[in-house]
Amino acid sequence: MEIFNSLAGGFAVCMTPYNILMAFVGCLLGTLIGILPGLGPSATMAILIPITFGMKATPAMIMMCAVYYGAMYGGSTTSILVNVPGESSAVITAIEGHQLAKKGKAGTALGLSAIGSFIAGILGTIGLVAAAVPLADFSLKFGPAEFFSLIIMGMLTIIFVGGKSIPKSLMSAAIGLGLGCVGTDIVEGKDRFTYGMAELLDGIDFVVLVMGTFGIGEVLVSAEEFMKVEPIKVKFRELFPSLKEIIQVRWAILRGTVIGFIIGVLPGAGPTIASFVSYGIEKTVHKQPETFGTGVPEGVAGPESSNNAATSGAMVPMFALGIPGSGATAVMLGALILYGLKPGPMLFVENADFVWAVMASMFIGNVILIIMNLPLVPLFASLLRISYALIYPAILIICVVGAYAISTGLFDVGLMLIFGIAGYFMKKADIPPAPMLLALLLGPMMERSLYQALNLSYGSMMTFITRPISATLLVISALMSIAVGFKAVRRARTLVKDEDKA
Amino acid sequence: MRKADRIFGVIGLGLSLWFYLESTKFHYITEFTPGPGFFPFWVGVILAVLSCWLLLDTFRRKPSEADTLRVLPEKHALYRVLFIFLMLFGVRMLMPFLGFPLTVCLFVAGILFSLERYGIFKSIGYGIAYAAVTWIIFEHFMEMGFPKGFLGI
Repeated sequence: MEIFNSLAGGFAVCMTPYNILMAFVGCLLGTLIGILPGLGPSATMAILIPITFGMKATPAMIMMCAVYYGAMYGGSTTSILVNVPGESSAVITAIEGHQLAKKGKAGTALGLSAIGSFIAGILGTIGLVAAAVPLADFSLKFGPAEFFSLIIMGMLTIIFVGGKSIPKSLMSAAIGLGLGCVGTDIVEGKDRFTYGMAELLDGIDFVVLVMGTFGIGEVLVSAEEFMKVEPIKVKFRELFPSLKEIIQVRWAILRGTVIGFIIGVLPGAGPTIASFVSYGIEKTVHKQPETFGTGVPEGVAGPESSNNAATSGAMVPMFALGIPGSGATAVMLGALILYGLKPGPMLFVENADFVWAVMASMFIGNVILIIMNLPLVPLFASLLRISYALIYPAILIICVVGAYAISTGLFDVGLMLIFGIAGYFMKKADIPPAPMLLALLLGPMMERSLYQALNLSYGSMMTFITRPISATLLVISALMSIAVGFKAVRRARTLVKDEDKA
Repeated sequence: MRKADRIFGVIGLGLSLWFYLESTKFHYITEFTPGPGFFPFWVGVILAVLSCWLLLDTFRRKPSEADTLRVLPEKHALYRVLFIFLMLFGVRMLMPFLGFPLTVCLFVAGILFSLERYGIFKSIGYGIAYAAVTWIIFEHFMEMGFPKGFLGI
């Protein structure tokens, strides 16, 4: 009952014309960046942060969240119409969606994708409301030792689940931890890695890193080639799937929602993995799995529902524990800190109005998105005809403006360019930048928790093992590492055997 | 990809050495808690271990399809990337002298004319339009305080 009252309070805060306008702007921006290849939601949110400095935290975060789930709606449009996913989470949608479009059923695919996304968005938000509150209540019992262990577990999960190559992901995270050491240390107040540069005393701003690695890096990769796309044309009246088609995919939508939400809650396994898992399950449970790849509606509805539900799931650990589960939620977490809020369980106590308003806005945002996406898809699709040559200079200028705005100086612009070139080569060499970003954010938190925990226990490391919650989290981390290590050893042994045979 | 992994492994080793050397400038431990050198030291150690793991893996693994992929793009694509990066670097260096709007105008016009093969007048037109829109939004309305150039804006 308390949850309903709090949610009603959230709606009351959120239902102001300004907040609804911000939700609309976020949904529109999210849909646009989802449609246009070249910039992901993480980079877009990072670019928006400096622009939202003058705003209050609630409308700013409403807009950020809307960008995140709006991108999931928009990503499917390019996948279906052009076979070029605007978002990594829409890669799998292209398989069935584009085949449907080629059969003249682009409208059906877009309609099912939007309806699935809407249902998953609403159910996912209900899941977020239901899961975040008890988790936040539970985590009020956490002390520095528990937070240290939780950060260790969170970082390991992100690396083990999310990365293609474990050593590369781990190295990316280790570099992020190193970057997190830059600035004034919390123990003795000494300057580390600053080399006399006053701009580095507060550390490296995560916005600079995100805009460099995600923003500039992504644009440089996209700008390598001239991008010319020719979308399949869709008429307005073709956009609404028949009732029969909706009934046909109802279970796929529900399955996708549940899978997406659960996967979203797990650190590191965001919307992209959720959509792949959902597609795999739909293929498994389908009566004619061999038809997959030829344009099966369940292959569109399931993954699209799944990636939307995953965005809500990913916000559970961010709101409840203050631990981001993905690159996008890491950006949101960083934004919360910049807005002067303290992420974590106390957010529900100290800034309850803010949290509930943001959660309530997600219901409103999903309604805005379904209204916006169904009738306006032909208009959005026509945006694909705008040359990318005109878009990327604008993105780069906004990145420069964003970096400049952090400290009203050009130092951060230069730093962003360095991260930009690093991000470009990281993408080319298949090194995930997300663990580096998460480690930059979590590293200082981790160091602080370690310092506080050891201070409280007079330097005894046993505090991490004798406290039950901390010990449980460390055991899970250890089991995960052993499992991954065992898998790596087994793979190496197989390779050696293969080479011996050869 | 194998070559790229080796390069990344060597860079990782270099960074780990740097973290280690920096950590030696600070106390490793205080009476009860880790000192300022504790974290950088362990980051250096972990990074060194991981770099060795990656390097060893590149020598041990069988060449896969990913290993045959080129990491660096073709010559013309590399030229595009380099050009855009140099233009961005130019923005960083010239903004204090030229001011925000003129720098943006030159950046956009330069990219469109040199890289995207737009006509000179069209490129300058887009440059002026981009500069005007960004200046109005970020300087006029949001008062970001960009450096002013010799034109006074």
